[in-house]
Amino acid sequence: MRLILAALFCAPLLAHAQTSAPPSHVRDAAPKVFAFTNAILHTDARTVVAKATLLIRDGEVVAAGAGVIVPADAVVRDLNGLHLWPALIEPYSDLGLAASTNEERKAENKGARHWNSALRADARAHELYKSDGEKAGKLREQGFALAVAHRMDGIARGTSAAIALNDEAPVKCIVQPDAAAHFSFRKGSSPDNYPSSLMGSIALLRQAMHDARWYEQAASKEPDAVLESLAAQLKGRIVTEASDRNDVPRWSRLLKEFGLTGLLKGAGDEYARLPEIKAAGMPLIVPFAQPEAYDVEDPYDALEVSYARLKHWELAMRNAYLLDSAGIAFALTTHGRKELKDLWKDLRKLVASGLDSAKAIEKLTVEPARLFGLDQRYGALRPGMRASFLITSHHLLHEKNTIHETWVEGKRFTIDDPGKLKLAGTYNLNLADAILHLEVSGEPGKHEAHVRKPDEPDSLKVKARLEVSGGVVSISWSPKGKPEEITRLNGSVHGGGGVWDGQGQRPGGAWFVWSAVRRAEGGSEKKDKDEKEEKKAAQLVGSITFPLVGYGWKEAPKAETIVIRNATVWTNTSKGILRNTDVLIHGGMVKAVGEKLDVPAVFPGKTKPSVFEVDGTGRHLTCGIIDEHSHIAISRGVNEGSHHITSEVRIGDVVNPDDINIYRNLSGGVTTVQQLHGSANVIGGQSAVIKLRWGHGADSLLLEGARPRIKFALGENVKQSNWGPSSRFPQTRMGVEQAFYDAFHQARGYQAEHDRWNAMKPKERTGKAAPRRDLRLEALAEILRGERDISCHSYVQSEIAMLMHVADSMRFTVNTFTHILEGYKVAPAMKAHGTSASTFSDWWAYKQEVNEAIPYNAALLHRNGVNTGINSDDAEMSRRLNQEAAKAVKYGGVSAEEAWKMVTLNPARMLKLDHRIGSIEPGKDADLVLWNTDPLSIDARALKTYVDGVCYFDEAKDREQRAWIAGERDRLVRAMMQAKADGAPTRKAGRERPRLWCCEDLGEDEYLHDGDHIHE
Amino acid sequence: MAWSWLLWLPIHGYAQIPTPAPPQSRSILITGCTVHVGDGKVIDDGAVGFRSGRIDYVGFDYGVKAQYDTVIHAKGQHVYPGFILPDSPLGLVEVEQTRATVDKQDVGRYEPELRAISAYKSDSRVTPTIRSNGVLLAQVAPRGLTIAGTSSVVQLDAWDNDGAIVKADDGVFMSWPSAYQRQGWWAEPGETDSEKKDERAKKLDELRQFFRNAKAYSATKSPAIVDVRLEALRGLFDGSKALFVRADAAREITEAVQFTKAEGVKRTVIVGGYDAWRVADLLRDNKVDVVLRRTHSLPMRPEDDIDLPYKLPALLKERGIRFCLSYTGDHEHAGARNLPFTAGTARAYGLSSEDALRAITLDAAALLGIDQRCGSLTVGKDATLIVSQGDALDMRGNDVRWAFIQGRRIALDDHQKQLYRQYQGKLEKGQ
Repeated sequence: MRLILAALFCAPLLAHAQTSAPPSHVRDAAPKVFAFTNAILHTDARTVVAKATLLIRDGEVVAAGAGVIVPADAVVRDLNGLHLWPALIEPYSDLGLAASTNEERKAENKGARHWNSALRADARAHELYKSDGEKAGKLREQGFALAVAHRMDGIARGTSAAIALNDEAPVKCIVQPDAAAHFSFRKGSSPDNYPSSLMGSIALLRQAMHDARWYEQAASKEPDAVLESLAAQLKGRIVTEASDRNDVPRWSRLLKEFGLTGLLKGAGDEYARLPEIKAAGMPLIVPFAQPEAYDVEDPYDALEVSYARLKHWELAMRNAYLLDSAGIAFALTTHGRKELKDLWKDLRKLVASGLDSAKAIEKLTVEPARLFGLDQRYGALRPGMRASFLITSHHLLHEKNTIHETWVEGKRFTIDDPGKLKLAGTYNLNLADAILHLEVSGEPGKHEAHVRKPDEPDSLKVKARLEVSGGVVSISWSPKGKPEEITRLNGSVHGGGGVWDGQGQRPGGAWFVWSAVRRAEGGSEKKDKDEKEEKKAAQLVGSITFPLVGYGWKEAPKAETIVIRNATVWTNTSKGILRNTDVLIHGGMVKAVGEKLDVPAVFPGKTKPSVFEVDGTGRHLTCGIIDEHSHIAISRGVNEGSHHITSEVRIGDVVNPDDINIYRNLSGGVTTVQQLHGSANVIGGQSAVIKLRWGHGADSLLLEGARPRIKFALGENVKQSNWGPSSRFPQTRMGVEQAFYDAFHQARGYQAEHDRWNAMKPKERTGKAAPRRDLRLEALAEILRGERDISCHSYVQSEIAMLMHVADSMRFTVNTFTHILEGYKVAPAMKAHGTSASTFSDWWAYKQEVNEAIPYNAALLHRNGVNTGINSDDAEMSRRLNQEAAKAVKYGGVSAEEAWKMVTLNPARMLKLDHRIGSIEPGKDADLVLWNTDPLSIDARALKTYVDGVCYFDEAKDREQRAWIAGERDRLVRAMMQAKADGAPTRKAGRERPRLWCCEDLGEDEYLHDGDHIHE
Repeated sequence: MAWSWLLWLPIHGYAQIPTPAPPQSRSILITGCTVHVGDGKVIDDGAVGFRSGRIDYVGFDYGVKAQYDTVIHAKGQHVYPGFILPDSPLGLVEVEQTRATVDKQDVGRYEPELRAISAYKSDSRVTPTIRSNGVLLAQVAPRGLTIAGTSSVVQLDAWDNDGAIVKADDGVFMSWPSAYQRQGWWAEPGETDSEKKDERAKKLDELRQFFRNAKAYSATKSPAIVDVRLEALRGLFDGSKALFVRADAAREITEAVQFTKAEGVKRTVIVGGYDAWRVADLLRDNKVDVVLRRTHSLPMRPEDDIDLPYKLPALLKERGIRFCLSYTGDHEHAGARNLPFTAGTARAYGLSSEDALRAITLDAAALLGIDQRCGSLTVGKDATLIVSQGDALDMRGNDVRWAFIQGRRIALDDHQKQLYRQYQGKLEKGQ
């Protein structure tokens, strides 16, 4: 433990260890001193010294600048105007640290360690590192001399090491072990079922972090290398990994719970959520590869490429500039790129898109060094720093630049010999009896040559063999169709390539003297094309909407003071439905309800707000619809079904603010939804209640002050009746009952243990450790304490009765039975228990346990005194919940007003939010819907939907949006076609399937499979 | 009212499945109601009369009462042709997730020989709940990979399969191979594509060969060796069967129409047809009709107009494409009782009231090839009709008081209503 701490906090290590293997030959004791003179020296991206000297000794910079005195023992190289740069640093690499294979996993002896294989905090890159000469060589070719690498496998991944990219033994390459501790939300090669969702990954890590801290204090504990390592790592540098922009706030929130922060490897799409990214306060490591364009020349194919994808193509190269402009610190990484060598082209695009060119270089040199605390040694060329640098032909970002050499820790690697002759050009070839034209094209090593008579057209030229070796050339050719008439030349190259001369032999054997003089230098057509492309990148326009999918806002709508005049108002209060009534909204609340409201009189002060009038004549105004059972706007998995109890997972961790279904729900008059965990297990995860504030980030969607809730489930899903073979407990309803009893007995014990501790006086606590926090049991203890409410997926009467018995005997109340399709059979018992029913209007016959579901369920429950709601569990139906409410009129004759409450006030009661939402009266949240007609009518359409007095859906604005999106799509599709015409690679258009969750969707990979959604 | 006492006789017991009604013995006139003919016409204060199972009067409500044994006074109520549900696994599925009760899909890729009617369960517990909302006819169609099988049109009140048949083996159902692969998010792009493209080309070629074989086979009236698959396709080439091709994207629809034309299929109907409005000319020119996907569905593409599925019927109407509505998708068998409300939504989004009705009556009948007998309240056609208390396309108005199939007054009780009564009784007694 002490070792790890030392590694994390100590100053840079001294020169390499003394314990290298003994030599097997006489020592190579020659001084390693080099002086590079006459260079254009870039000590960093902003400082350049002309005619400078760089002096290095034993892998370290001794002097760098003008007027350096070269010591006698130095090997001197005159760079003759070439450039010197600090070498690049790759901050996010898996060099030499491949993910574990299945075989390795099987062979791994688990020993006494953490039960979950996705937690591998005890892995240390410098212990696992295996030299990978090929990959290191590829990085060197592009100018990298250092990489911070870790094994990218698991949720807690252990530590990274800074690795010098030379060809020494691992012990010499590792220049900084334990550079940082790495974390992700992906379980990688772990064979464990848990976690199977994003929220499960977050929950696992959260618990592990609590455990690690507890582990340090606890006197009696099981030995656990993972927790021991993790405890130390939480005191050092932390690097996290995001799969998309919305993971960024997730990481910052999680770390903040532990008073921590860290670095974050982003996905390159941060541009779409800059305010949230900035607020997260985590320095980033971001990729910068130009995404491939889609082939959209066929208009039908173009239909399949979403606006979000088109925009990503447009904005990916602007990400760096936008991050920089927003004042967000970041470094660049090449991790994940298809073609490493394209990085230079892409870097130039970043600059063309607005990023300062010096900054672009800093993001690959000093910035990554700084992020990992290596900037005293790497990232610049100052005395005392490591001699890792580049010799280049031009400025690093110049399109004609060539990296000639990459020096790693004072060791030279030749990439492109500056001595290599560049022969491309057109030459006058003097053959004593004739003057021909010799045309040489291509790069050194790949030269091609053609010969023709000066007066002949280009088409008559013949290909010549050209070989260059050192300063010697060998050429031969023969006229078309006459292979026997071959002419052969050999000679020397002079004047940097411009003049060649030597001896030749003609057909027939006669020798002669020849010479060639260059008239013009050759260019490369390809480069011209790239240049064109880069210039285009600078011209790109287009706004960033919130969210950056279709129907996002260019400008976020604001709360206004609005009076809706002369509408039919469904108050959901004792006042009932009021005709010709006005409703005044101010400050996000309902301010007044009445006939012919005198608005100025409502505001007694001198300053009157400006009031926006909406004509409600012939229209109906209601409060917003509340969907008790929704799975929209959830990222990467709705079920953590891998254990039968997963009360520790939280939907609130994985709210997806970019889901178009938020907007679609608003268009159906929905303003609040409870996002539920799925029903794959007995006790699922904690729910989130969100308001549909379309455009805001995830945290701002959460309904502030909502009571904590959790999902339970019963019946076929939790006993896994309807999918493949399974043996996870429980397999019967009997097992379900005992799972509950066992869980709550445990939770009682847990609560008692903590109560005892909390009651202890400080004196009594000495020498004892606090009991371990168990987030799974803590959530259950909250239920026992009456602080967390339940929505329980349920169908048949026996299981409904069972859970109520469990609850009664454990002294808690089941707040809501959701689905509850046989609720009508046990309505009196439900009323006695004090629970609510949230049901489907008319679903049945989709599984065995719903054979006795009837559409009269809502009416019977309602009539027998149970607070009853109608929910969707379906992203499609949720936007027609008004129609579903109308079915309570059809099936069982519920009055229109009471039916309407089933999708508004009654679910608000279940959520214990009816003091704020679910009705229209002064002081309530202004969550309102203006309908074209009676909301229970099949002809009803929402014209405007307000949340907190902000109009998030407006039918008229929606029509404008459509036109705008069409225009944007057209512009982007044209730009892509142009890119294709300019030679950019393209990929085929594919269909982006929406990730619609329903209760039974397992794992986060579920959305990759086709097939019908089978709902609850 | 005096004449109608017979209607109140308890003609069914309390069995879970209502007993099929006997043939019409007495002539019936429904009077005083709004008659929605199905072809777009509406008669206020109208009357509909029928005897021996056939309609013999549609018109104003005077001077005809004396000619009928029974008169139903339906003042303020609405009479509609029975609604027609196309492309449904009704009767092939009892409980979706209980495998033993599901007969909608077999293994194999080219299975036109599978006949829905052979597995159709005329005494399904689901069917009466569908009828209760006015759906009286259905096209029962198998589900499958490429060629799923052969459909039949049935009426929903029968003792057995044969008795249910309105038109046996009316069409072959196939799904056009999907033109677009699903791709992942940009952070994890899914694999592309050239390989998959080849796979698709192979699949299309295989399909073409299959149709060519079938065409050649159909040239011989009684082949020496019988191939049940090719035999099942025979009707496509002489027009006795229609080919129902499931396709949604414009490219897929276009390919399907060109393919079937080239292979000599006499009558093609597109099923799904999300993009049909985009290729309206092609469909009109080739006289291809569309069984439209459920209006109550989400847009297929993320930034499509949020109400596009709702207004697709209006778009097709505008472009002169003949279509009917379906309830294909999640919960398709038991949920089909909502078919009239999907028509109601089409009306809310631009279709006229009577055009919305037509899309679940006369045009549905035309697409299924049964419009000589069904689909509208027309003299000579089957007396297959409903009487609803209010607007049957609206949840609150849809209250079917009487329903007749071929003149037989069918029971409107069902399993769910029985449970309702049973438990209402229990609860009222405070048990």
